[in-house]
Amino acid sequence: MGREVSESCIDSLLTEMVSTYCTRFYANKPELAARRIEAIGYQVGHQLSERYTMERPRFSDHLEAIKFICKDFWSELFKKQIDNLKTNHRGTFVLQDNRFRWLSRISLDSSLEYTESQDPSASAENKAAQSTSMHLYFPCGIIRGALSNLGIPCAVSADISNLPACSFVVRIKA
Amino acid sequence: MIACVAVVGHQNNPLYIQSFTEADDALKLHHIVHCSLDVVDERVNNPKKSGPTLNETFLGLLYPTENYKVYGYLTNTKVKFIIVTTHLDVRDADFFRRFHAAYVDAVSNPFHVPGKKITSTTFAERVSTIVKSFGLSSAG
Repeated sequence: MGREVSESCIDSLLTEMVSTYCTRFYANKPELAARRIEAIGYQVGHQLSERYTMERPRFSDHLEAIKFICKDFWSELFKKQIDNLKTNHRGTFVLQDNRFRWLSRISLDSSLEYTESQDPSASAENKAAQSTSMHLYFPCGIIRGALSNLGIPCAVSADISNLPACSFVVRIKA
Repeated sequence: MIACVAVVGHQNNPLYIQSFTEADDALKLHHIVHCSLDVVDERVNNPKKSGPTLNETFLGLLYPTENYKVYGYLTNTKVKFIIVTTHLDVRDADFFRRFHAAYVDAVSNPFHVPGKKITSTTFAERVSTIVKSFGLSSAG
């Protein structure tokens, strides 16, 4: 029933989506662009969770749902599982992917980007970090949409302090 | 034969309801579906036997009325599928699985607003096909 597209199409679509929202629709308003991109991810995650939980029995608790996200859901989306899951047992989970697929094509070398001569390293790193983080709002939205559809309202943020590993922090709303 | 199928969202909001009898008791069927939602909630929250049956999606016979039998199915996303049948026994979840597949495809439509009623004619056609084929296979 379904048709497939090549992965490069998805990569191009995502790159262009981030670029369009950041430079055309909400130029100079990165918070609004981020919120819009995250909302798109929310709807996608909502619909994907409906599809990928189809054959499964219901989850008994939050941990089961998070484990489903780490294993089956992540495998369907990224052909691999989450590498490391940590929790503080009080509603916060950290999902760590050591080689996040959608960041695999992003250059990590920030030394090519600086244009200012005063203090180039700090501002170049900031700019690189900010533009990389824009690409993570979409997967954060996907996780949030999937968990909300499973009855778990939460907030999801991404942590890119050591690329190419990427951590998603899920805080369940009490 | 199957009298009526319904899809109810996780806040007990109706997403799709379709009757397959020409009779004028459509309102009665809606009422039966509405009452069965309470049974679903009760089944899920107070299991008589915990363990393997607790998290099954197919809930089985919810309750029989004098003319109808009501069967239920609860998905992981708390969406309920209810079918009301006359004289027909639903022994396994096969019908519900096909129904679930059609529902997932309808919800994946980017123009569908989650929580609002399903307006896709493709979904309505698929549901009619599933109901017809189920009726034929059980009668034969």
